Amino acid sequence: MNNLLKRLSPFAPDLSGAVSVLYELGGLTVICDAGGCTGNICGFDEPRWFHKKSAIFSAGLRDIDAILGRDDKLIEKLQDAASKTNVDFTTLVGTPVPAVIATDFKALKRMAEKRTGLPSITIETTGTRYYDEGAEQAYLELFKTFSVEQLPVKKGSAGVIGATPLDFSNLEAEKNITVYLENRGWKNTTCYGMGSGLEFIKKASAVEKNIVVSPSGLKAAEYLKEKFGTPYITNIIPIPESLQKELYELKGKKILIIHQQVAANSVRDLILKKTEADITVASWFMLKESLMQEHDFRLTEEDQLKGILESGDYDVVIGDEIFRRVMKKYNGRFIDFPHFAVSGRLEK
Amino acid sequence: MNNVYSITAKQLAALGQDNIPAELQSSAHMIYSSPATLAFNSPGAQGFGVKRAGLSIPGSVMLLAAPACCGRNTTLAGGKEGDSDKFFYMLMDETDIVTGRHLSKIPEAVKEVCEACEQPPSVVMICITCVDALLGTDMERVCRKASAFVGIPVLPCYMYALTREGRLPPMAAVRKSIYSLLEPTPKKPTSVNLLGYFSPIDDECELYTMLKKAGVTQIREISRCENFNEYMKMSEANFNLILNQEARYAAQDMADRLEIPGIELNRMYQIDKIQTQYKLFGEAAGIKFDDQKYYDEALSAIEECYKKHSNRIFAVGEWVNADPFELSLALIRYGFSVSDIYGTAGEINFAYIKKISDISPETRIYSNLSPTMLYHSAENSDADAFIGQDAAYYHSECPGIYWNEERQPFGYSGVKRLFTSLNTALSGGIINE
Repeated sequence: MNNLLKRLSPFAPDLSGAVSVLYELGGLTVICDAGGCTGNICGFDEPRWFHKKSAIFSAGLRDIDAILGRDDKLIEKLQDAASKTNVDFTTLVGTPVPAVIATDFKALKRMAEKRTGLPSITIETTGTRYYDEGAEQAYLELFKTFSVEQLPVKKGSAGVIGATPLDFSNLEAEKNITVYLENRGWKNTTCYGMGSGLEFIKKASAVEKNIVVSPSGLKAAEYLKEKFGTPYITNIIPIPESLQKELYELKGKKILIIHQQVAANSVRDLILKKTEADITVASWFMLKESLMQEHDFRLTEEDQLKGILESGDYDVVIGDEIFRRVMKKYNGRFIDFPHFAVSGRLEK
Repeated sequence: MNNVYSITAKQLAALGQDNIPAELQSSAHMIYSSPATLAFNSPGAQGFGVKRAGLSIPGSVMLLAAPACCGRNTTLAGGKEGDSDKFFYMLMDETDIVTGRHLSKIPEAVKEVCEACEQPPSVVMICITCVDALLGTDMERVCRKASAFVGIPVLPCYMYALTREGRLPPMAAVRKSIYSLLEPTPKKPTSVNLLGYFSPIDDECELYTMLKKAGVTQIREISRCENFNEYMKMSEANFNLILNQEARYAAQDMADRLEIPGIELNRMYQIDKIQTQYKLFGEAAGIKFDDQKYYDEALSAIEECYKKHSNRIFAVGEWVNADPFELSLALIRYGFSVSDIYGTAGEINFAYIKKISDISPETRIYSNLSPTMLYHSAENSDADAFIGQDAAYYHSECPGIYWNEERQPFGYSGVKRLFTSLNTALSGGIINE
């Protein structure tokens, strides 16, 4: 049956993706939930929670708030929290509760701005989609709201869009990406949302080129190209050394790579630089058509993955080790490529 | 800006139970889910939440019918507890959450779940969340339909975070669910149930010995039932001992349906109060308990700890197997100092706050969930020891104990173990908790 998971947990939801983008930007983020969604994000999907503080709060909605649609009470609580914290902006993030009661987020945004005097953005996530869609919305809203001024372009500078711990399974991802890009000639790199604050989003028009490192960054990069003429490139990300070592001796193999699309594409490119192989990329998350190759496909069901793997079509699978739970009868080689949004596991 | 809200016990007691400041009421402000709060504020994230608790019936499995965000982490977190193969998910999409069409798919999903299990489950728990709370889903009816379809019991399990401060909070509702399969049975006067926890109380707890000396031969706890048949025998109990207030609703249901009366015993750390409680329990049950030996052992542990660490100043948290205010009151009465309490003040514990106010008026009370806790710093505190995992988060440089392990401390044995553990930790030893 569709939408039934028997061996896997649900993957990181859209609201986790949105929060992940906002985490380091110095705003006040309100998750419009009763507490459980926030607990899952803070306790699980946000590995920075235990090392780096961020003003992420639950709206603490109760049944009567939802039934009566008490937006005024929500905004009152938001104003109170904003007055007690040092924040530059506020964000309201959706969950299944506002989705069911059809909350008017545009109205909430206006009310929040009026009451706090701070800019506000809203991310209309529902908890039914995956992290990449929430992150995509968050990037786009941030750039639309805060990147308004056309600044002189700085030669050799790059903006990285799409790097979150959920995508890169590494709390040092920003450093790794920066070093990787510096080795390729980029001397002034900003990784939006990891290791940089809101001021860099505001100066986004000053970068020479944007580098999209996950599908969630693509829409924002397209927006910046349209608004400021900033070109972008993709499929350039550092591949963990532990994984690179595993990519030898794959000559002539039929390989399935399961990850977020840009990471999977980058691994594919790396393998094909070394040797010849027949490689397909699959993802549970967004597959952008412009980044797809023939035969790449979207995974939607646990049983679908099980069937594909048990059919014996692939000699090698590269993906998060958690997928082994659904491939007990798979006899090929498995190469681990952690994906935090899937397994909640960071790279060692 | 950046001022952490706190109030002294004296100030709070003076305001009175009906005037608890908004900063201490979680429903009146945004909620900060700091790492200190994850187990009790959002038990889905860590600890014993509805999902794990719902699997207390031996041989049960759980189908979570909810949006993906509600089930995130469950299998993965469950892996640590050995429950990961017991969770299944039916993911709701946006149409489901508006129309409720997912409900018609549940019987088929339950059938697939049963087929996917290596051992046939004894019962399938259907866990539903805020969406169904808002849709007004009649999950009892859906479960009856699913049960008829698969031929085994199917029970609802309500993870309605929206109703957390309501008449029937999720952790009370799940306790009712897990005893709801019990059926009326002839009573055995020598049989007693302990209700309240999802893991056993300490093997060393005097309650076992004292009940056995009083003629009770069978003491059952759901977490100690080895199989489904053993669980079903809980209905033969002569009475229930309710060790946690969250089990009141379940106990009332058992009284109504199964005619099992209940007696409530509280977990406390003031040994004179424990003594009084056992005396009253004995009088109500027509039993004379001889608890002097256990009292003396607990007192000895307290004195031993006090002898070495009388100058310690404690920070006491609420991620702990205790009411933080009662535990703090006990510490203060034994002669220790308590500078900070992280807790949720309310009707249940206000009497303790008033007593703390009398003997330690400057003790400061914090709400873990206040947004201002974002800026909490231990530099402003005199505490040099902690009890509780949340207090440990704030006072990470101090020695102390988490005191939140799954086996449950109770009675004198709980007091004895607490002070023995504290003594070890404060003396630089390693606690195996």
